Amino acid sequence: MTVAVKHVKYPTLERGRRRAGWLLVAPAALHIFVWITIPVVVSLWLSFTDYRVLRPPRWVGLDNYREIWNDEVFCTALKNTAIYTFFTVPASIALAVVIAAMLNQKLALRTWYRTAFFLPHVTATVAVAMVWIWMYQPNVGVFNALLQSIGINGPNWLSDPNWAMPSVIIMSVWQGIGFKMLIYLAALQGISRELYDAAAVDGAGKVRQFFHITLPLLKPATFFVLVVATIDAFQVFDQIYVMTRGGPVHATTTVTYEIYESAFQAFRLGLASAKAVVLFAMIFAVTIISRRLVGRDED
Amino acid sequence: MTAMDTTAGDELVVATEVFDAADASPAAAKRDRRRRFRVTPGRIVTHILLMAGSLFMILPFYWMIVTSLKGTGEIARFPPSWIPTSWRFANYSEALDAAPFHYYFRNSLIRAGTHTVTQVILGSLGGYALARIRFRGREIVFIGIVAMLMMPTYTIIVTQFLMVKKAPLFGGNDILGVGGTGWLDTWWALLIPGALSPMTVFLFRQFYLSLPRELEEAARLDGLSEFQTYLRIMTPLVKPAIITIALLRFQESWNNFLWPLLVTTREDLRVIQLGLAVFRQSDQTSWAYLMAGTTLATLPIILLFIVGQKYFIQGINRSGLKG
Repeated sequence: MTVAVKHVKYPTLERGRRRAGWLLVAPAALHIFVWITIPVVVSLWLSFTDYRVLRPPRWVGLDNYREIWNDEVFCTALKNTAIYTFFTVPASIALAVVIAAMLNQKLALRTWYRTAFFLPHVTATVAVAMVWIWMYQPNVGVFNALLQSIGINGPNWLSDPNWAMPSVIIMSVWQGIGFKMLIYLAALQGISRELYDAAAVDGAGKVRQFFHITLPLLKPATFFVLVVATIDAFQVFDQIYVMTRGGPVHATTTVTYEIYESAFQAFRLGLASAKAVVLFAMIFAVTIISRRLVGRDED
Repeated sequence: MTAMDTTAGDELVVATEVFDAADASPAAAKRDRRRRFRVTPGRIVTHILLMAGSLFMILPFYWMIVTSLKGTGEIARFPPSWIPTSWRFANYSEALDAAPFHYYFRNSLIRAGTHTVTQVILGSLGGYALARIRFRGREIVFIGIVAMLMMPTYTIIVTQFLMVKKAPLFGGNDILGVGGTGWLDTWWALLIPGALSPMTVFLFRQFYLSLPRELEEAARLDGLSEFQTYLRIMTPLVKPAIITIALLRFQESWNNFLWPLLVTTREDLRVIQLGLAVFRQSDQTSWAYLMAGTTLATLPIILLFIVGQKYFIQGINRSGLKG
C-alpha cells in the first residue's frame, strides 16, 4: 500500500533510485560475470573438446571423461585427495575443538595461545611449506634431530613414497587448526555458563562436561567446519606443488595437481577441464549432502 | 552452503562482541584477574598442554628466523643448534643478491595493495546497492553473485588463463585474440581477474543490511543522491567492516600462488610466493637465504595480523570461509 502511494508521489525519484542501484552494482556484477560466470560455462564446454592450444577446440563428446576414467594416475590422484582429506580434516577438527575448549575460560596467556594457534592460518602456504621442507630434511632437519634425541631414526619424510603424504598431511593439520579453533571459540561463547555450573553441582568433572555438554552443543559448528574444511581439502595444491610436485612416484598427486599438469605441463586444456568438472562435482556433492543433512536436522 | 554459513556467522559475531564487552567495571576486572590467575591442578595441566601446543605451532616460525641468521657451517651441523652461535644478518643482503627478493616483495605489495583497493571500492558499491536500494532485477543479481561464490577456483582457472591469453589487441593479439600472448606476463593479468571476489560483495551487503533504515530516509529527505548517501552517510558507519575486508583481501592476495604461477614467467613480474618457489628450485640454494626470503614473505602478514587481530577474527567469524 505505502509503496504504491510512493510510486504515485515521486515517480521520477523512484526511477532515479532504480537507475542508481543498477549503476552502483554494475561494475561488481560485470566483473563477476566476465571472470567467473563465463569461465564456468566455457570450462564445461571445453571438457567435451580436444584442445591443445595450437589448434582450435574440437568437439569429442565424452572422450575426455572416458580417458580420465581409464587413467590410472588420475585414479591415484582421486585416492590421494581422499586420503589427504580423510586424515587432515578430522585431525585438525579434533585438535581445534580441544584447544578451543581449553581456551574458553579466563586464562593467563590466553591471547598468546590464541595468536600462536592461529598464526599458521594467516601465513602463506607456499612460505610455510618452505620452512617445513627445511625441517623435514632427513640429514640436517630439526625433526630428525628431535627424533634422534629420543633414540628414533627419523624417516626420509618427503622423499620416501610412504612418508610423503603423511608429511604433507602433518603440515596441513598444523596450518588448519587455527581457523577451526576460531570458529569453535566463537561458538563456545554462545553456550551458557549455567549449564556447566549445573553439571559441576551434579559432580561432573571437566572431562565429562566436555563430552556431555560442550561437544553436543558444538554440533552445528562442527558441521559447518567439516563442510568448509572438506571442500578446502579437496582443493589442496600449494603445498603439493612446493613440497613434492606430486611425487615421489605419484604418492602425493592430487586432483588439483592433475588439473595443473594436464593444462599447463601437457597443454591439454580439454582434458584438464574435464578433470576440473570432476572436482567441481565432488565439491558440489559435499555441498548438497551437507544441505540435506542440515535440512533433516531442522525438521 | 553460503546462506547457511552466513546466518551461523552472524550469530558468532554477536557472541564475540558480547563476550568482549563483558568485563567493563573495575570490580569486574578485579574479580576477573583473580579468576584468571587462580592456581588449580586442572589449570596447570591445561597450561602445560597449551604451552606445548603453542610452542609447536610457533616452532616453524622460530626455526625460519633462526635459520635465516645462521652461517653456512652452522646450518650443516647435526644435531642443529637452537640459538645461532653468531647472528649473521648478512644473510639477508646476500639473499637479495642471490635473487631479487626486494622486487618480488614490491610486486606483491603492488598486487595486494591494488586488489585491496579494488575489492573495497567495487565490493562496497555493489554490496550497498544490493542491501539498500530497491531496483528491478536486484534479486537475480544477488542470487547470481551467491551462486558464483560457490564456484571453486580450479573449475574456472583454465578458462581464466585462456581469457587472459586471448585478450584482444594485447601482446601481439589481433582483434579476435589470436596470434600473441595477450595479457600473459603483464600487470593486467596479475591485477584484473582478482580485482573483486563475490565474497566481498556478499560481505559488504551483510554489513550494510545491519544499518538502520532511518538513516537513509533522513539522507533522502535532505536531498542527498543515492551515491552521496552511500559515500557520506552509510559507508563511514561500516568502517570496521571495511578494515576487516581490506585485511582479509590483502592477506589473500599476498598469499596467492596459483594465479601468478600460471600467468607470469618474467622475473620482474614475479610476486614473492612465486619468487620463493623458483628460488628453491635453483641448484645451489642456501637454506639460510631461502629462510631469509621466506621471512620476508611472511613478515608483512604476521605484522598485519598482530596489529589487526581483532578485525581478522571478526572477518573469519563472519565469512566462515578461508581468506
